[in-house]
Amino acid sequence: MTTLITKTVTKICLPLVILFSISLLLAGHNNPGGGFIGGVMFASVIALTYVAFGLKYIKSFFNPDWGNWFGFGLLLAALTAFSAIAFSHNFFRSAVEFVHLPFFGEIELVSAGLFDIGVYFVVIGGLLSIFKNVGDDK
Amino acid sequence: MDSFTAITIAVFLPFILAGILPAVEKLLKDKVGWYASATALLSLLLVAQVAPEIIHGGTIQGTIEWLPSMGINLSFYADGLSIMFGFIVSGIGVIIMSYSNGYMSKKEDLPRYYQQLLFFMGSMLGMVFSANTIQLFIFWELTSITSFMLIGYWRNRPMSVYGATKSMLITASGGLFMLAGFLVLHAITGTFDIPTILHNESIREALQNHNLFIYALILIFIGAASKSAQGPFYIWLPNAMEAPTPVSAFLHSATMVKAGIYLVARIHPMFSGTDAWFILVSGVGIFTMLLAGFLAFRQTDIKGILAYSTISQLAYLMTMYGYTTHNEPGIGVAAATFHLLNHATFKACLFLVAGIVAHEAATRDITKMGGLRKEMPITFIVATIGALSMAGIPPLNGFLSKEMFYESSVEMGHLLGGPYTILIPALAVLGGVFTFAYSIKFIDGIFLGKRPTKGLPEHIHDPSMIMLAPAIFLAGLIILFGLVPSIPVHNFIEPTVSGILLEEANLHVQLWHGFTISLMMTIVTFILGLLIYTQYDRIAEWQNRFNARFPWFSVNYYYDGAVNNAKDVTFKFSSRMQPGPVKNYVIAVLLLTLAMFAIPATMLGANLIPQNLNFDVPLYEGLIFLFMIVAALGAALLPRYLPAIIALSGLGYLVALLFIYLQAPDLALTQVLVETLSTIIFLLALVKIPQKFKEHIPATTLTRDLIISVAVSAMIFLLLINATQGIVPPFETLSYYFIEKSLSLAGGHNIVNVIIVDFRGYDTLGEISVLCLAALGVYNLIHSRGEDE
Repeated sequence: MTTLITKTVTKICLPLVILFSISLLLAGHNNPGGGFIGGVMFASVIALTYVAFGLKYIKSFFNPDWGNWFGFGLLLAALTAFSAIAFSHNFFRSAVEFVHLPFFGEIELVSAGLFDIGVYFVVIGGLLSIFKNVGDDK
Repeated sequence: MDSFTAITIAVFLPFILAGILPAVEKLLKDKVGWYASATALLSLLLVAQVAPEIIHGGTIQGTIEWLPSMGINLSFYADGLSIMFGFIVSGIGVIIMSYSNGYMSKKEDLPRYYQQLLFFMGSMLGMVFSANTIQLFIFWELTSITSFMLIGYWRNRPMSVYGATKSMLITASGGLFMLAGFLVLHAITGTFDIPTILHNESIREALQNHNLFIYALILIFIGAASKSAQGPFYIWLPNAMEAPTPVSAFLHSATMVKAGIYLVARIHPMFSGTDAWFILVSGVGIFTMLLAGFLAFRQTDIKGILAYSTISQLAYLMTMYGYTTHNEPGIGVAAATFHLLNHATFKACLFLVAGIVAHEAATRDITKMGGLRKEMPITFIVATIGALSMAGIPPLNGFLSKEMFYESSVEMGHLLGGPYTILIPALAVLGGVFTFAYSIKFIDGIFLGKRPTKGLPEHIHDPSMIMLAPAIFLAGLIILFGLVPSIPVHNFIEPTVSGILLEEANLHVQLWHGFTISLMMTIVTFILGLLIYTQYDRIAEWQNRFNARFPWFSVNYYYDGAVNNAKDVTFKFSSRMQPGPVKNYVIAVLLLTLAMFAIPATMLGANLIPQNLNFDVPLYEGLIFLFMIVAALGAALLPRYLPAIIALSGLGYLVALLFIYLQAPDLALTQVLVETLSTIIFLLALVKIPQKFKEHIPATTLTRDLIISVAVSAMIFLLLINATQGIVPPFETLSYYFIEKSLSLAGGHNIVNVIIVDFRGYDTLGEISVLCLAALGVYNLIHSRGEDE
């Protein structure tokens, strides 16, 4: 169905795009990016591999249940929102912490980042489970 | 641990422990019911821990901020009323879950059953301790949902599904009315907080003199009536008997159906003392009491009898809470509260007995039973205690609260004067007569008389202690409360009554207080009850004949008509509204938008096109616009799919490029990615379809579409040039706020992302939930279609 060119390009792109999507996710708080964009990027590259190599072939060695991904994401996002209550702040209160690590320099830890990771997983899981279900459908 | 924490834990513990129940089930196998009982026991102990404080006249209040800006918080409030309910819910919960160990067979799906029971218990506890009306509504609907699941526990029985659907439709939609009522209440008082309204004389005054008062009352009362199966909403309770018997005992006699009563008691201080309250609450109560008591006669299912008796007993409570005059706001409150507690004991006991009988005799048809007293002596004794308490025979607790009911009826009639002096007590006695008759029937039909020769198993015997002990315990409570009424009265009733009436309450309940008018009424009740009982079967037959002749004379007839016709109606509607082609939907949406735009456009009139337009477009932007126009024309005009789709994607990428020029990197990134993904999906679909446009578009359609698209484009153009004129006072731009606050409040430099995950985090949570639901929906669509084939 697809040409050799597509397959080769997809092979090369796949790891790069995944790494880039993770960097987008983590940099989102201060630079362009974020959970949604990272998630869509991840989803689109996986979708591209599905298209290029065929669903059947990919499923033979890489077949995660995307439903679990968005379930995990939603749980993480919700728990982040609830966790503020444990510290007797109101619901959804976010916290910021700057941590000095040797070799890395200053790292900013934001509770909203966890929420963002939740969004990331929901977007990946949601899009890909739709994609895979529709693709599986005969 | 302080009291507020104890209550919070008591509410959320069942939820948390139900979550890990499947894991526990792997360890305990079919003993998992004991784990559930232990959970209920923990909740009970936590409630008991805070009880002394309440009994000594205190109240407990605490808040966890949720949406403080809207006044919606997770807050718990405990006074006598909620503590009493807390005891009933968790106490009966322990009893029911222990009993279920004997009742449910080992082959059933036990984890699902106990999980839902625990979920229900948690929701019910959350509801009775809620101090915030919105929170109360959420827990209220949770009880509706868990009830739906438990009634439909046996999924493959059509009657179960029917009963579950019915209860869900009626109670959940009633809950929505209640929510509307709470919103009206909020509009009047300006708060969602219940204790604030309760403890504030001036707010209550303002409420009763407000012209929206009656609407708030009616809306909230619809919620209460639907949950407690009052008035025309009674129809769901008899069908709810399809649930496993422990569920009926727990939800549909002792706790969930009392939620409506709880609500009435909770809003009693706000609304009572008015004529509307008396007419609505007592009127519906008296009507239901007589109707349900009368309809109980034609029931042949032992659980059906109990269902109708529950409806009529709840109606007693409604009636008593409704007794009010302007000077004496709570005439029947003490009686109602006492009867509420007693009803929980004897009705749960009777349901457990019904479960035992059905379990042993393998049938629930009372006409096939009789004479079981010899084979099941212990069950017989327990059942007799329960039924006699319901009938109001001394020295059991039902007698005491029925006396109080008659007393308050006499007082209410006396205060109203005129014909009501006789009428109200007479109606109360009539309700008591019906109660007496069906209580006796329950005993007589099952245990007395002759054993039928066929239709029953050979050997019937008392069940194991697992099932008997809970019933015996409840029967013991019935006798104890009857002989020593001071125990419940001091510990539960007085704090509750003082919580409702907002003043110190001292009650004197005794078994014997001389020949009073209420004792006379009781004696009259017994005599008339025995007389009616002799005609029991004839009345039942007459009802059956009447029903066969006039099928339209019942609420069920209309419910079934509405629900069964819903399918046809929606089918007609959707075949008219959704004929298929997406084009029509798009046209409809666009035309509607045009119509909505036309209204402000005509108002603006001559000023529609602003005077000072800025034509200073840089060269590169102009070029991009030019390309965009070309791409759009290409997408519209190219005769093959592939080039058209590529043109469309090109348009999308050009828009992304424009975003970059306009300094919106986040938007540009998102646009590029979404465009890529949609192109991939398009290309996937392309493989499956022929490569040429097959359809021939007639000239009329083409002109119509052209007119619509030109009109919509012109509208968007006008909107945009108006929108970009800058912010018009009195509105101010939002961006400055975010630019200032984003670093200091949320510690991020990227404003777009900070808005998404922090300032507007709640929205995002909603959106990702929608995304999950969409994914699940697609999954279900595709898989359900596969199963049909």
